[in-house]
Amino acid sequence: MNKFHRSITAGALWAAALSLQALPTYAEGDAHGVGNVVYSKWCAPCHAPGITHPGTNALMVKYQGVKSGVLLEWTDLTPMYVEYMVRHGISVMPQFRKTEISDVELHALAAYLARNTPQS
Amino acid sequence: MRTPPGVSPSDYSKALAAFAAVVGPEWVFTSEDDLDLYRDAFSPFMNEPEERIASGAVAPTTTEQVQEIVRIANRFKIPLYTISTGKNLGYGGSAPAYSGSVVLDLKRMNKIIEVNEANAYCVVEPGVSYFDLYNYIQEKKLKVWIDVPDPGWGSVIGNAMDRGGGYTQANYRNHFDSHCGMEVVLPSGEVLRTGMGAIPNAETWQQYKTGCGPWIDGIFSQSNYGVVTKMGFWLMPEPEAYLRGTISCMHFEDLGPLVETLNYLENVRITGGFPDLGAPLLGYGPVGQLQLFFESGTHLALPPEHMELLATVKDGRSPALEAYGRQHDIPYWQVWLSFHGPMEVIEAQWQASVRHFAKIKGSRAKVVDKTLLPINPADADKFHEPELGIPALRAFSIGARSPYNPTPSKGHMWFSPIIPRTGEAIIEANKVFSAAARELGMPLFRTFTLPACFWERAFVFILATPVTTDPATNKKYREGFKKLIAIGGEHGWGEYRTAPVFQESVMNVYSFNNHVLHRFHETLKDAIDPNGILSAGRYNIWPNHLRGKDA
Repeated sequence: MNKFHRSITAGALWAAALSLQALPTYAEGDAHGVGNVVYSKWCAPCHAPGITHPGTNALMVKYQGVKSGVLLEWTDLTPMYVEYMVRHGISVMPQFRKTEISDVELHALAAYLARNTPQS
Repeated sequence: MRTPPGVSPSDYSKALAAFAAVVGPEWVFTSEDDLDLYRDAFSPFMNEPEERIASGAVAPTTTEQVQEIVRIANRFKIPLYTISTGKNLGYGGSAPAYSGSVVLDLKRMNKIIEVNEANAYCVVEPGVSYFDLYNYIQEKKLKVWIDVPDPGWGSVIGNAMDRGGGYTQANYRNHFDSHCGMEVVLPSGEVLRTGMGAIPNAETWQQYKTGCGPWIDGIFSQSNYGVVTKMGFWLMPEPEAYLRGTISCMHFEDLGPLVETLNYLENVRITGGFPDLGAPLLGYGPVGQLQLFFESGTHLALPPEHMELLATVKDGRSPALEAYGRQHDIPYWQVWLSFHGPMEVIEAQWQASVRHFAKIKGSRAKVVDKTLLPINPADADKFHEPELGIPALRAFSIGARSPYNPTPSKGHMWFSPIIPRTGEAIIEANKVFSAAARELGMPLFRTFTLPACFWERAFVFILATPVTTDPATNKKYREGFKKLIAIGGEHGWGEYRTAPVFQESVMNVYSFNNHVLHRFHETLKDAIDPNGILSAGRYNIWPNHLRGKDA
């Protein structure tokens, strides 16, 4: 999928999310707006940069410098992988219910976290 | 499709259709994948047949929808199990106490109904997390603080209903005690308001707790007599300044006088913030510092000589270690005191505290932080955020992979007995529990463990018992956990809160006069919820038709 199509897809998800529930505002024209909002609410408290974020510290120890401990810097995340982790949890991270992160929000989050991953 | 025990597939289908008509079909969950999201991520029965799982889930957004769901459940005898945000990890998570129940998921009831700055209170719904409430207050620049437990994603109501604790001033730290007024959907489907809320158009629902006549709020906590849909909480007006300091003592025998002095200072309201006990010589950090240790692993850096001397500690005591401490200027015991208020007041409170602790020979006082509030948000992580009323998830460093803990467990179950607020009790509990834990092969109470001071009049130990991916290890720890509960009971100590898998064992300790308390709980259950539809088994309160059966 090329970049143009990806942004169309993300835009559609964004519109769908807005129609279902009120979400905080974000920069207009930012295709990853919804994903960013979901990330900030649900992921950042554990995964933002710095060892005071337990998810980041855990990934730093796990990958020992082979890759960053900061999820936002990863370039190999696929949407499918993100969605699996959110719905299944890993280590002491629990899974998240649909009343916490809806499917629409999860798709947007997955697209956002996979934004740096080169498309094959 | 999973079906709740004792319910015919046909009745269940009708109930689900009725639920869907109330909340919309997308908010009724029945598929295996969706129901797996309700599993307790820290279940000690993970992947075993005894794991407690949901048959369904339904997620309303309003009190009226809760009423309708409860009425439908009565009609079809559907067991419901209420959760708020479902983040009670280590105490059961989002899974039901009675396997096969339909989870009544209140996460979507996420309205902050009021934050009143002038009278310093809030009214919230069950799906509101500490993060949500904190962010709302920050965005509106309101000058009030919330009192938060360590993980900030939990429900303000849910935490209070399970009687959790926090870290600011004493009168806010007990989250159930700091509530004022509830709205409850009874098992009949009727809505009840407690305290002054029982007056139509009440003007003081969040200002006077008890109203007139019997005060019943307590029966809705750690129970299954109703679904709380709104709750008020008293908030602390934003303090002007914060001071934190340590009192250090050099001798084993100082623990008793240290606790006694602390109790006095707290009970006369000189020391108001969360007091935090540590034992530097025993390698035991205070609660507020634990995350720092886990984040960086620095406490592994004790010199080899010090580490070797730890092996000589018995029930907290080691003359050789004490001598080493004196030689290297390492305190045996330490208490961290914190103060919130006008600078001239908290400085005076600190000075008075120092004067009282000075009775302990050789003790020393040191100011660690002294700052005007609010602090710069960028500096928040220099503190244990909850002591400043700031929610975080940093405490997960204690269970997550970290330099200290490179091979983490899958989760944990909290062993949390209440013991008396004396130095003697700390030593005695360590003696009893560490001997038992050694014998049972439990990784708890190893060198020495100090309790936490959430509540002013009692200590509580909060110990993480690992949950692993190995069923045999989990079985060993579950059985050991139950034995520790019973051993505590023999000494007059009981848990303050526990996960559903241990609720029967814990409540069995509360057995005065042939379990009259338990029998009273069941009498109430029969009267309030004759069909037994609400949260069967929660804190071992079973409806009549399920008594004597296994969960």
